[in-house]
Amino acid sequence: MIWVWILLAPLLGGLVYGGERVLRARMQRRQGPPFLQPFYDMFKLMDKRSLIVHAPHALLAVGHFFLLWVSVAAIFLGWNLLYIIFLHLFAQVVLILAGYSVRSVYSHLGANRELLALVAYEPILILVSVGFYLVSGSFEIGRILEGEGYLAQMPLLFAALLIIVPIKVKKSPFDVTEAHQEIVGGVEIEYSGVFYEFLYMARFLEYLFIYSFIFLFGGISYGVGAVLVAATFLLVNLVDNATARVRTGDMVKIVYGVAMSLAVINIVGILR
Amino acid sequence: MKFFTPFRKKSPWILHYNAGSCNGCDIEILAALGPKFDLERFGAINTGNPKQSDIFLVTGPVTYRSRERLVELYTQIPEPKVVVAVGSCTDTGGVFRGMLNVEDGIDRYIPVDVYIPGCAASPQLIIDGLVKALEILETKSKAIEKPFKLFGAVQMIGTKLSRLNMAQRVRHDEN
Repeated sequence: MIWVWILLAPLLGGLVYGGERVLRARMQRRQGPPFLQPFYDMFKLMDKRSLIVHAPHALLAVGHFFLLWVSVAAIFLGWNLLYIIFLHLFAQVVLILAGYSVRSVYSHLGANRELLALVAYEPILILVSVGFYLVSGSFEIGRILEGEGYLAQMPLLFAALLIIVPIKVKKSPFDVTEAHQEIVGGVEIEYSGVFYEFLYMARFLEYLFIYSFIFLFGGISYGVGAVLVAATFLLVNLVDNATARVRTGDMVKIVYGVAMSLAVINIVGILR
Repeated sequence: MKFFTPFRKKSPWILHYNAGSCNGCDIEILAALGPKFDLERFGAINTGNPKQSDIFLVTGPVTYRSRERLVELYTQIPEPKVVVAVGSCTDTGGVFRGMLNVEDGIDRYIPVDVYIPGCAASPQLIIDGLVKALEILETKSKAIEKPFKLFGAVQMIGTKLSRLNMAQRVRHDEN
């Protein structure tokens, strides 16, 4: 049964993305695209002629997608949280290599920003999983989900995680890695057709990845986890519609200054 | 593949290029994409990246400075693709027709599928034209489409030579 869910993971992420586009449109009093729009986009991209810069560049996008899929599958299977974070890190490194492998200046800029974003959010993810370890006594997701709710003991870690969610799902104020009209999508710029589709679907998997971290805070009561995910989803989209993009350096400063200190204070509090 | 063809018109991604326009049509295009007219309900996104777009929205009469970029952007869009000329200037040259630094419309350089008239073209007309363009997009094949002119070295020298004559064509003394 769990394997079926793992196979359907990109479709599940696509539904989340489609719902998000409708939600954002309604927040701006627009009608918005159809709910299944991401799938229409995917089918259309299958039908386009694809221009390849060079073979490794195209292959790295496919690799990025499949590595992300493996890390999401590991979450569904209840593996060790640290393994999952490092698998995800590997997927990001593949994407950054793809960005540096072509000569486009925008692609290099995007890869630089992707690297800085990685430097910003990775310590927070590690600190959150350390917090889970300190409270529940294990890094295994299966064990973490058996514990009581974690929100009472790790409220500041939750706040720190909330700050880095917009970086992962590429939303304002931390959407510098994509920066749509500024650097035209960053590392995505040289992709087209089927190979762009892999990056497009990788984005759906990112949603599942980061929101499953939020879900873990519910512990054994899945209802609380689902409520937390829904509330975060609404909050992130509201903030996305209401704020402008910050610069890359400022993003790193905000994450290191605010989110990191919140996380450290909380961990010190748990240890006492 | 035959199965995917109907989905072309469900997700038209737009590349917008300003070939020396007065920004009137550009503002109308942004209005069409904005909350009131909301082109996104057709699934349209303003991508800004030629390699991922289907519809090439061009505004403005083609100035000498912009025509090489116009042709280059056109060749970078993967097939199937549709070109939509927005506004009178893009169709025929409009009020700029016959001026020295302006080509009369984009159809000297790239094949145009839909012409949208108006100065500036209203958002309703732009949406109408895009829906028409989607019908054309569905019937197109994946065969490579080429621009009418490419800018090689010989061409560049030719245009430079043709502009030598330009100073004589302007008569400042006659009124």
